[in-house]
Formats: sequence, C-alpha cells, structure tokens
Amino acid sequence: MDVSNCVLDFSRLSLNTLSLDGVSEDRRRDTKQFYLNYNRLSTLPASISLFYNLEFLDISNNGLTAICDDITRLTKLKTLLAKNNRLDEFSLPKDFGSLPLEVLNFSGNRFEEIPLQCTKLRRLQSLSIGGNRLKSIPTEIEDLTSLEMLYLGGNLISAIPPEVANLPYLSYLVLCDNRIQSVPPFSVTIAQILSLVHLQELSLRGNPLVVRFVKEMTYNPPSLLELAGRTVKSRNIPYSPCELPSNLVLYLDLASKCPNPKCAGVYFDSCVRHIKFVDFCGKYRLPLMHYLCSPECRSPCSSNPQSDAESEDENSVPADRLQRVLLG
Amino acid sequence: MEQTELVKPETLDELIKTLHQIFQSDRINVEEVQNLMESYESKPHEWRKYAKFDQYRYTRNLVDEGNDKFNLMILCWGEGHGSSIHDHTNSHCFMKLLQGHLKETLFQWPDGKSQGDMVTKSQRVLQENKVAYINDSIGLHRVENVSHTECAVSLHLYSPPFETCQTFDQRTGHKNTVKMTFWSKHGERTPFETTVSQENN
Repeated sequence: MDVSNCVLDFSRLSLNTLSLDGVSEDRRRDTKQFYLNYNRLSTLPASISLFYNLEFLDISNNGLTAICDDITRLTKLKTLLAKNNRLDEFSLPKDFGSLPLEVLNFSGNRFEEIPLQCTKLRRLQSLSIGGNRLKSIPTEIEDLTSLEMLYLGGNLISAIPPEVANLPYLSYLVLCDNRIQSVPPFSVTIAQILSLVHLQELSLRGNPLVVRFVKEMTYNPPSLLELAGRTVKSRNIPYSPCELPSNLVLYLDLASKCPNPKCAGVYFDSCVRHIKFVDFCGKYRLPLMHYLCSPECRSPCSSNPQSDAESEDENSVPADRLQRVLLG
Repeated sequence: MEQTELVKPETLDELIKTLHQIFQSDRINVEEVQNLMESYESKPHEWRKYAKFDQYRYTRNLVDEGNDKFNLMILCWGEGHGSSIHDHTNSHCFMKLLQGHLKETLFQWPDGKSQGDMVTKSQRVLQENKVAYINDSIGLHRVENVSHTECAVSLHLYSPPFETCQTFDQRTGHKNTVKMTFWSKHGERTPFETTVSQENN
C-alpha cells in the first residue's frame, strides 16, 4: 500500500464545506491522517465519519462552532487538533468521551468550562485548552488517569482543585497567565501536586501569586519515636524481632537514607523538603523529591543560592528527581 | 574592510552561502549581517526538516557550522515555551523570526552589590522575518513564545560559536554557567547523554 495514501491534505483550500466526491472508497478506507486546517468550515460535517480508519484529524483554524455527533463513529481516532475555532462547552457531542483520544487540542477557542465529556477520555495523554475563557478546572479532571500533559495557560482560572494532584502520570502542567492567587489552600494543593512522582515541569508564571509561598511549608520536628529510630539506625545498633515488637521492627526497617552524601543520617516521617530556586529555561527548578533529615543538613544541591558550586552539585542529583517550577 | 553587495537570498541555501562569504573576513559588520538575514523571506518548506519540536521545552537544531566562524541554528518554541535570562559569551547573536512571534525582554547586567529583582530595560514582540541583534555589551535577554495557540520558529546566528553561557535568576541576579546542547544537527535528531544543567539556548 502506498504510504502517501494514508495522509490526506485538504489544508488551506478555503473550503466552506467538505465534498468527498473526489475521494475514492479506497482512499476513505486508507486515510489515517486528515488535514483540514486553515479552511472556512463552520461545522464539522457528518461525512467525516466516512474515514472510518482515521487516527489523526486536524481541523484547526476554521470557524467551527460545533463538532458533529458523527465524529464519535471514528473509533480509531487518537489525535484531534481543533485550535483557533469558535468552540465552547456546548459544541461537543454527548458521547465525545467515548473516543479513544490520546491527544486533544482545543487551544484558542471559547470554552468557559472544560466539558464533562472531555473528562471521560480515559486514554487521553495530552490535553491543551490554552487561550480560552476557563474560569476553573473541574474536579472530574482526576478521571483522566492517563494524562501526562495539561496545558491551560492563558485562561481565567483562579484556583487549582486538589484533584489535579491525583493524576498519577502528570509530567507537564502549564497554568501560566491565569488568575491564580496564593490563598491558603493553594500551598497545600501545590505541595500535593509537586509530590507527583512524574511531574517535571510546572508553570505558574503570570499569576498574581505571592511568590514566596513555599516558605510557608513548615518543618515538623521529629517525634520521640523518630529520634530514637534515627539513633538506632545511624549508630547501627542491632535489633531483632525477638527484642522488639513487630511494629517497631517494621518502623525501623522503613528508614530512608538522607541524600546528603556527607550525612549518614536517616529519616522516617519527619523530613525537610529541600527547595532551591534556580532560573532555568525561564523556569525555577525545584528538587522537591529531595528530602533531608534536618534543616541543618546540607543537600547535595547546595541550599545556599549564592554558592558558585551550585552547578557542579546539581549534577549529582539524578535528573528524574529534579522538578522545574515556573513562578511569577 | 570589504562589504559584500547585498543580493537578496532567494533560498535558505543561498543565505547560508552568502553568510559563509561574509564570514571569511575576521571583521563583522553587524548591520550587513542583519540586513542579509532580514532580506531572506522565510519559506517553511526550506527549513521544515530542521524544525523539530519538543513537547516540554524549546529545541536548538543545528543547521550549519559556519567553518567555525559562526553557528547557524533553528530554534523551535512550542506554546508557552521560553528561555532563561542569558548572556552570549562575548559573541554576536542574530535572531530571525521564521514563523510566529517571540517576545524579547532585555535586562541589565546585575551589578555585584544589588540583591533583589533584576532590572528590565525593555521588551518587544518580534514579527515574522524580522531580525534582532544582541551582544553582551547591550545586555542580557529572555526570549519567550507567549502564544498559547501557536508555535514559533526562529533562525539564530552566533559568531564566534559558543558552547556555554550564563543563565540568571530574575529574582536575585545570581548566575549559573550552563552547557548548551543541540536537539538535532543537520536535520538528524542527536540525543546526548543526560546532563542536568543544560540550557537549550
């Protein structure tokens, strides 16, 4: 099969309707990528469903006010790009959530809410609704369990729901140019979001934040149990199940080693998240997965921002433990 | 100092050829280079093979090594992508918009004494086909694609070529030396060994 039959390029043709008379049955079956961007369509016509093997559809830069119900018949559709149209939350079919979409881009439209149908896209990995009129993020966002990339820059969002922190694979979260303020629940939510293991980039620029919010993160001093546990572990005092109750043995076995290479200490629950701000690619890097056993402990990333040895020290922290947070 | 007569390059290849000629001399006429680059009208099909985007940050894609006199590269900026505040390691830097728009914010060099936010000098949005010029004596800058819906592509010329530069923390003026890396060279993706302190500059 000729590979070029997979791609149908109808972009930039000033089309106001979609006539498929010139498209053979074979072509309709074989087309996997269809470019309809930069035309003058005001609705997505039902005939799109004739491309029943379609995987990629680009309808960006038209004047679309609605997407037809028939789109749900594209049972193999993985990517839908619909940037720069006139869509809002009433434009989508009821069963839009049934599509097997992995990438969805609605940037540059008129959405005031993220429609609930979008939160039902279980396979969605990348969602972009930048440059719209979103006032909030629905709590149902947590249903997008495959989501890795969430771009919501350039909206009117005033708060981040804690449910965002329940997205297990979220790697890239953009909330720049919104209306987010750092009122009390904010720092808790951010702390939860920053605990996401996969998160690497978080952009909060252009929001009316009080930038020093992270200084609110408090250090809870260790309990007596913890102090005893630390002593046992750091002095290598032997212990065994015949000497100690099983819950204490379990507790001692869960000790985590302090990442400071010069510190042989351990910690249990009480630890300091070391936070360092370095401007990098316009983003501040936050080694938040970097726990220290006490505030006096020095991290492998120097806690003194004036240290010139910064860049060398950073190399000792594995890249996957660093997170980049972009602040205002 | 000879000045090559300005013949408008019709293609990217012609632009590169003329740049090679100009840079045979050791003295650079900034205006001449700027005018030459500006007169090339961007044709996407000519540079498409270098325009490789990354989802999470902007990419640097080497186009020509300029006989070691200059490096020519294409930078691809996704929605919302931006650079840090950086210097240019005593080199000339020319930046031409091939597609989309980029915001350039100029900063003063932080002086040794002052703590606190770096001082902005000016800001502008560069239009397609325009060329901006900067060097260390002019100041530092941050370049960003502020669009939430469009990506941007820019053509950069640095002379002499450099591999490291300094990045600056806007809130404190503290600096950090970073190594610069290429996402691709001559249209081929070039993954490198992972380093943490790298800037796609």
